[in-house]
Amino acid sequence: MDGFEPKIIGFCCNWCAYAGADLAGIGRIQYPPNLRMIRVMCSGTIEPVYVLEAFQKGADGVFIGGCHPGDCHYQAGNYKTMRKVILMKRLLSQLGISPKRLRLEWVSAAEGQRFAQVVTDFIAEVKELGPNPLNQEVAQHG
Amino acid sequence: MDKKIKLAIGLGATCAGCDIAILDLNEKILDLASLADIVFWPTAMDFKLSELEKIEKNEIDISLYHGTVRTSEHEHIVHLLRERSKVIIAFGSCSCFGGIPGLCNLTSKEEIFETAYKETPSTVNPEFITPKTKVSQDGHDLTLPELYNDGRALSQIADVDYYLPGCPPAVELIERLIPIISNFLETGELPPKGTVIASDKTLCDECPLTKENKMVSRIFRPHEIIPDPKRCLLEQGILCMGPATRGGCGSRCINVGMPCRGCMGPTAEVRDQGAKMVSAIASILGAENEKDLSEDDVEKLMDQIKDPVGTFYRFSLPVALVNKRIKEGS
Amino acid sequence: MKSGPSENKQVGAVLVVGGGIGGVQAALDLAESGYYVYLVEKSPAIGGVMAQLDKTFPTNDCSMCILSPKLVECGRHLNIELITNAELKEVSGEPGQFKVKILTKSRYIDTQKCTGCGECVQVCPVEVDSEFDVGLTKRKAIFIPYPQAVPSIFTVDKKERPPCVRTCPAHVNVQGYIALTSKGKYKEALELVKENLPLPGVLGRICPHPCESKCNRAPLDEPLAIASIKRFIADQAKDELLPQVKTERKDERVAIVGSGPAGLTAAYQLAKEGYGVTVFEALPVVGGMLYVGIPEYRLPKGVLEQEVEAIKHMGIEIKTNTPIGKDLTLDTLFTQGYKAMFIAVGAHKSLELGIPGEHAAGVVQGVAFLREMNLGKEVRLGRKVAIIGGGNVAIDAARSALRLGAQKVFILYRRSRMEMPASDEEIEAALTEGVEIQYLVAPTEVLVKEVKDGKVVGIRCIQMELGAPDATGRRRPIPIPGSEFDIEADMIIPAIGQAPDLSFLEGSGVTLSRRGLIDVNPITLATSRPGVFAGGDAQTGPGIAIEAVAAGNRAAVSIIRYLKGEDLREGREIKEEEIRPLGLSELPVGEPRKPRVQMPTIKPERRQNSFDEVELGFTEETALQEAKRCLNCGICSECLQCVAACKAEAIDHEMQDKMIEIKVGAVIVAGGYELFDPSVQYELGYTRSPNVVTSLEFERILSASGPFQGTLLRPSDLTPPQKMAFIQCVGSRDAQNPYCSSVCCTYAIKEAIIAKEHSTVPLDVTIFFMDMRTYGKDFDRYYDRAKEESQVKFVRAKVHDIEEKDGTGDLVVKFATEDGGIRAEDFNLVVLSVGFQASPGMVDLAKKLGVQLNPYGFCQTGSFSPVETSKPGIFVCGAFSGPKDIPETVMQASGAAGSASALLAPARKTLVKEKVYPPEKDVAGEEPRIGIFVCHCGINIGGVVNVPEVREYAATLPNVVFTDANLYTCSQDTQEKIKAMIEEHNLNRVIVASCSPRTHEPLFQETIKEAGLNRYLFEMTNIRDQCSWVHMHEPEKATEKAKDLVRMAVAKARLIEPLRQLSLSINHSALVIGGGISGMVSALTLAEQGFKVHLVERNSELGGIAGRIHYTLEGGNVQAYLAGLIEKVTNHDLIEVYTNAYIVDASGYVGNFTTELMRYRGPYVERIEHGVVIIATGGQEYRPDEYLYGRDPRVLTALELEEEIAKGNPDITDCNNLVMIQCVGSRHDQRPYCSKVCCSQAIKNALKLKEIKPEMEIYILYRDMRTYGFKEDYYQEARRRGVIFLRYDLDKKPEVRAVRENGQYLLKVKVYDPVIGEQVLINADILALGVATIPSAEIRELAQFYKVPLNEDGFFVEAHVKLRPVDFATEGAFVCGLAHAPKSIEESIAQAKAAASRATTILVKDTITAEGIVCSVNEDICSGCGICEVLCPYLAIAVDKTERVAKVNEALCKGCGTCCAACPSGAAQQRGFRRDQISSMISAALGV
Repeated sequence: MDGFEPKIIGFCCNWCAYAGADLAGIGRIQYPPNLRMIRVMCSGTIEPVYVLEAFQKGADGVFIGGCHPGDCHYQAGNYKTMRKVILMKRLLSQLGISPKRLRLEWVSAAEGQRFAQVVTDFIAEVKELGPNPLNQEVAQHG
Repeated sequence: MDKKIKLAIGLGATCAGCDIAILDLNEKILDLASLADIVFWPTAMDFKLSELEKIEKNEIDISLYHGTVRTSEHEHIVHLLRERSKVIIAFGSCSCFGGIPGLCNLTSKEEIFETAYKETPSTVNPEFITPKTKVSQDGHDLTLPELYNDGRALSQIADVDYYLPGCPPAVELIERLIPIISNFLETGELPPKGTVIASDKTLCDECPLTKENKMVSRIFRPHEIIPDPKRCLLEQGILCMGPATRGGCGSRCINVGMPCRGCMGPTAEVRDQGAKMVSAIASILGAENEKDLSEDDVEKLMDQIKDPVGTFYRFSLPVALVNKRIKEGS
Repeated sequence: MKSGPSENKQVGAVLVVGGGIGGVQAALDLAESGYYVYLVEKSPAIGGVMAQLDKTFPTNDCSMCILSPKLVECGRHLNIELITNAELKEVSGEPGQFKVKILTKSRYIDTQKCTGCGECVQVCPVEVDSEFDVGLTKRKAIFIPYPQAVPSIFTVDKKERPPCVRTCPAHVNVQGYIALTSKGKYKEALELVKENLPLPGVLGRICPHPCESKCNRAPLDEPLAIASIKRFIADQAKDELLPQVKTERKDERVAIVGSGPAGLTAAYQLAKEGYGVTVFEALPVVGGMLYVGIPEYRLPKGVLEQEVEAIKHMGIEIKTNTPIGKDLTLDTLFTQGYKAMFIAVGAHKSLELGIPGEHAAGVVQGVAFLREMNLGKEVRLGRKVAIIGGGNVAIDAARSALRLGAQKVFILYRRSRMEMPASDEEIEAALTEGVEIQYLVAPTEVLVKEVKDGKVVGIRCIQMELGAPDATGRRRPIPIPGSEFDIEADMIIPAIGQAPDLSFLEGSGVTLSRRGLIDVNPITLATSRPGVFAGGDAQTGPGIAIEAVAAGNRAAVSIIRYLKGEDLREGREIKEEEIRPLGLSELPVGEPRKPRVQMPTIKPERRQNSFDEVELGFTEETALQEAKRCLNCGICSECLQCVAACKAEAIDHEMQDKMIEIKVGAVIVAGGYELFDPSVQYELGYTRSPNVVTSLEFERILSASGPFQGTLLRPSDLTPPQKMAFIQCVGSRDAQNPYCSSVCCTYAIKEAIIAKEHSTVPLDVTIFFMDMRTYGKDFDRYYDRAKEESQVKFVRAKVHDIEEKDGTGDLVVKFATEDGGIRAEDFNLVVLSVGFQASPGMVDLAKKLGVQLNPYGFCQTGSFSPVETSKPGIFVCGAFSGPKDIPETVMQASGAAGSASALLAPARKTLVKEKVYPPEKDVAGEEPRIGIFVCHCGINIGGVVNVPEVREYAATLPNVVFTDANLYTCSQDTQEKIKAMIEEHNLNRVIVASCSPRTHEPLFQETIKEAGLNRYLFEMTNIRDQCSWVHMHEPEKATEKAKDLVRMAVAKARLIEPLRQLSLSINHSALVIGGGISGMVSALTLAEQGFKVHLVERNSELGGIAGRIHYTLEGGNVQAYLAGLIEKVTNHDLIEVYTNAYIVDASGYVGNFTTELMRYRGPYVERIEHGVVIIATGGQEYRPDEYLYGRDPRVLTALELEEEIAKGNPDITDCNNLVMIQCVGSRHDQRPYCSKVCCSQAIKNALKLKEIKPEMEIYILYRDMRTYGFKEDYYQEARRRGVIFLRYDLDKKPEVRAVRENGQYLLKVKVYDPVIGEQVLINADILALGVATIPSAEIRELAQFYKVPLNEDGFFVEAHVKLRPVDFATEGAFVCGLAHAPKSIEESIAQAKAAASRATTILVKDTITAEGIVCSVNEDICSGCGICEVLCPYLAIAVDKTERVAKVNEALCKGCGTCCAACPSGAAQQRGFRRDQISSMISAALGV
């Protein structure tokens, strides 16, 4: 789809993924400007309801960044995130929303390059998927 | 008491269990009768829609509406009731949250027709005749209400004053209407708008079972296990919606060994009942040895939840954040 | 403890030396225990080696992820003063009262002003090897060691000024302009040249460049072509750059006499400062000798004219044809209003030959010849031209004569080529063009045709020879008598020297020297007449142009001072600096040889009859190529680009080093170590192949922040290796470093596993090792995992040679296997697991401190005093006292802190700072009034994001009542402004849109707190790291995104609320469980600090397992130590000992524990209230059921053997054959851990027995000898003493049988010897089993009482393997000794002190303040389902069984929010991240 610039909502944990994003910044590693990031203390605090809310309000993709397994600042929050995301993807696909629109990535505080890379990849993938179908639904119903 | 209020009971897509529930008031229905004149209740008495149409604006004091709004006629009734009633109460899960008929949002009208009028083995319909809103035959016009593509809760059609959830609502909760009505009669006062006539807490608050440890490592469907009758069902791996479901029903299902299925809807703090339960279940499922579980292991764990939407949104899909199935890419 | 000065005089501050993880931990512990800490670090940032690591073993945690928060905490701590880039110089005084001198080296950065924005780095042209990436990447001369560095302040890396700059008479910043050129910044480069030299194009062509003669590149290959580079930039950027007058114009006017290089330079410098300048020139042209002395083919007139034009552009007036003298005297000039004068008339008068015939027709003076030619006059030329002299004028004349049509031109020079003053290039060019040079020839007479015109026909010469050197240092030419000869010539050009014509100065008051030059003060160039200065050839005699330029600069400074009435001399002393060339070894490692770029010229045949410029100049490509050869000898080139780029004005290149003096009560040395440099082991190929790397280099290769972003590539060709090898024990366990470096085995395993994970292709990894020393907690499991899961191959072999295969970059590793076979195998990449060695800096420091070192240069410690140095009051931790891993270092750090804390207890809290805040404003119920501060961050944000637009937009958002845009929001003045604006606009919410909240949120929160706002009424949004820096090429989109982020912040800010931070009271006593060495040391360390300690011991006696140990490997007397310890413990007033006591229940949490215990198995329960608990329940010997133990009295455990030896049992001490079997009950399926101490214990017993009976045959059957660290010495000693070591594999375990022979039962041990490849049968008189250490029995119930976890082996699990080794995840509970894992007495003591130190950080506090961001539960909604409870790793939330609601213990809650997310009723919410707040941000982000 030409000219489609997806809106991506991101949730990143303070200790790893957000730090990784900072490092991407410090390293001036460029990535597309489609991400709007919300900092949370731990990825474990991210609720499925936020994901649904984001889609319902028109996000084309939702990105979640947490610490690598074993690296969680709060010991094990990220394991919960992984399980929530896996179940959420099933829910999304049942609701007809491509589960690819929800992306969970582990990014450490030392992985600036990786942060930029996964965000770039995700944006490209969402571009490929096209706009959030919910937006179109809304349009149809006026 | 001389003065009585005017009460109407309207309905949409319903199993009429809500009507039965009102009748289940048993002798208390007399109390109700002493407080209210029933001006519309098609299930119980021979009311016609035209009679409702004749009622003046605001003439009805309180309306109860049960059932999902599924057709143009349901919507019409809702608008009539709303216009003619001072107070309208969403009665029962279908009215409050869309209810089980609301699961129709996972399919389209066309798909339903396809199944109901073509694919079921007992159907012989070679010409694939499906309901039409208007059919002319032999010079006669026959009309049917239009079946909507989706099912909706009452609040999505009209402004709702109170909610009385349950599938059907528990008699104890319906009984709570009686003092509300009598108080209204005496003082003209009503509870604050938006009040849910049920508990503020979740089912666990009134659940009689013992809670020990909420870590779950396997999910059982009810037929796969004979549960310990004293212990929390969720802890035994049975998907019980109780933690995410408003209490007030008197633990009716639990009392007969069945897990809560969520008919009372979420608490006031929760915007989306299903998503909250997804969060809770995914958090505790496999938590015990989470560090040893690979992504594949987690996928296998989640395979045990056969129908996430049907399980977590059994009664509340139409009021969920994403309340219908979308066709990605269409 | 030695009695120090009287107690009340102790200083409540501690000096910690070394900012690695050890120093950081010690500093944090002490600061939290009530002491003020000075943390001195030699590099510009703390973090040490740990910051460089990719992952840490055995958990593969990201090193930076776990370290960074500690560094930040350390950097922000109110009571830790970081003194970075500093060196400890002197310590005097005594324990409790030390005086310390520290040299802080200049960073050339004002640390108060530097915001860490990094703009300077972008412009710095100098690249040097990055220390952080171990030379695998480059960093700039202005740098921050690594992105997360603390403090986040830049440093200019500056050595002494480079030799080129110092050699240049005008001190033109050569390195600076070359560095800028190398980055393609020609304009900036030219600007820099023009600071000191207004004629770059001219000098770039004609300067004989003395600078190049001192270039450090010369010994490597050839010096840099400095002048040619200058010429290139001058040609390149000339049109872009016109000099500017720097300041406002001034009224004073200056007269300059002479428009040569000296005069023009002075004029230029004066004009730059705003002075009016008039230049008086006698000739009709401007430029002096530059114009009339240099032929066009060397310096095209256009080049000179253009640069003169540029100078004139500054408003300088040049009057040509205006000689000073008769009509216009100096006096006239003064009367005309000129306030000062500079005389630079040059030396245009030729020196005469002083021989007959000199004035004949056909003899033309060289200078005159060139002048006539250059002025365009017709010059009559002969056919055969003889030129006399050896300077540049002679060469110029010769080459010009050729061009003008002479058929033959020859130069006569009286010395040899070596002494010839003309530059080599010139001589070469002349020869190329056909000039003949005759050396050692002097003219004696000009031969003239005897006709009336007296025309020249030839010249008579005499041969010379060289004698002794003269005053100029050149050898004096001496005529050889009788060697006269005649040469035919029709034109003679003498060019033997020039002198100034200073006749015009007669009567001017300016005196001349004896040599006929103007007499000046050499520093100021002031003449005898006030206001008149002189320089250049007129003052020095003929010199080179750049010297004249230097004089012009010098005169300008003097004139300005003169005009301002300032002291002319102050600070201008001419220092005779010796320029020391770098030795080859000082040159950058691995710098390849690159020849100098040759200057292209026009062909010699094209030079005939043409004055076209001969040298064509560099192209951009060659100029860049040449500029990049610069070695950046001074590192910082002082190009001053950073100064221009720094909007915070933080850079000051003139800053000086400073010596500071502080007083402390104790010193902790955490100086770390140095890695072995494998380049000394030539055979390992490190210096020969880029694909042989050290383990630290490999660590960087693996790191996501390293040179390849974590992709596994080999350095030579950046391809992924498919087969790689690790070589163990490089620089360890060899002749040079006989000790074991302790950590290499495990780090190699880690790197092998991670390499496999990071590899993009299937990777085969082999580790070549001698003994696998994975002795630490859970390390053996890690080893097993590497073998089984990661398929790492382990080969027991000694590598002796690594060779690169030609052309491929691959390596052949040759090694000797255990059975003596020699093999070779090819690999794509080889990692050398380099060992630790003492750092020379630390050895020096130790000498200064008087601290005793061991023979290897590490700090000497004792078996029972692991953190004490030989100097009382000076403690040690980490690798400075021997190779060790991170957890051991951290334990020692805490241990050393504990010891220091005990020493200084009376002075606790005397020097700590506490901050006082104004009372908090109550904003409850107020409508939000939001103030937004948008940061430019210099140009870091403002250069991409349109900050004014963002600010304007912010002002339109709801509840926003104030907006501001700041250059640097984090600067001190902006903090004041924020406070003022809060007051003025009654703000109750503050938003800063700038950089990362991870680094800056605490600062702003502090600021608003100082303004009376609750610190949580703050929001921050990161428009730098998430907008400007990552979307640099999309400024509009970056701006839009910044607006979105601000809108999101506002949405949240409208909903935020003040959060309260709970205060918990603390009970100041401790409970220590376990009365062994660990428990007693902990108890004593706490009691010595004044805390009440309850010490609970199960047995009737104190002492634990140590009661059975008699001596240590190093010879320490355990029983004596133990007796002393027991006595101290039992006699200490503050320690209450409960023996025969059992814990029966415990409850509570940090600060408020209650423990119940029962004594004598009686019915009475005692309750102890305590603030902390230390679990030190120790361990025990495993009782084996194999090897006939328990069935044959001759089979003993190692401890039993020790007891018998100590008793002197002759059955043991006098036996003939004694066999020891190691790893009994350890390192197998059931108990897959190493018991760590058994190898040392075996060596210890063997040595003891050998001492008693040297002829005893002792066999040690082992799997890997794990005598790590300095214990290796004893292993080698045992080998020397003849102890026989036989290695066995787990699948070929020894067999022990009692066989009846000759009426006796003989113990027979059969074992397979892999060296000879056969079974060996040994008759044993005594068999000693090195059995496993297992945890004590009571450990399981204690784990339940205190809710602390056990690992699979039954030992306690610490909060974090690396950085919290004695803490439990449960706050207030600590572990030490064998309860944690098997370890030596020395390690137990360090750990016990560490546990006490960590406990102290709690006990010293009156209250503990909890975080504000915690979980809160709405009890009206909560129905106590219990889901939250099972998710909390801190046990901070639990269902109250009676109220049936979840309750949060805010003291324990860390605020992760996991429970809140899972709470299905919505009752639990994370403060500061409530659902409505997040939801509002989602809406705002999506614009709905």
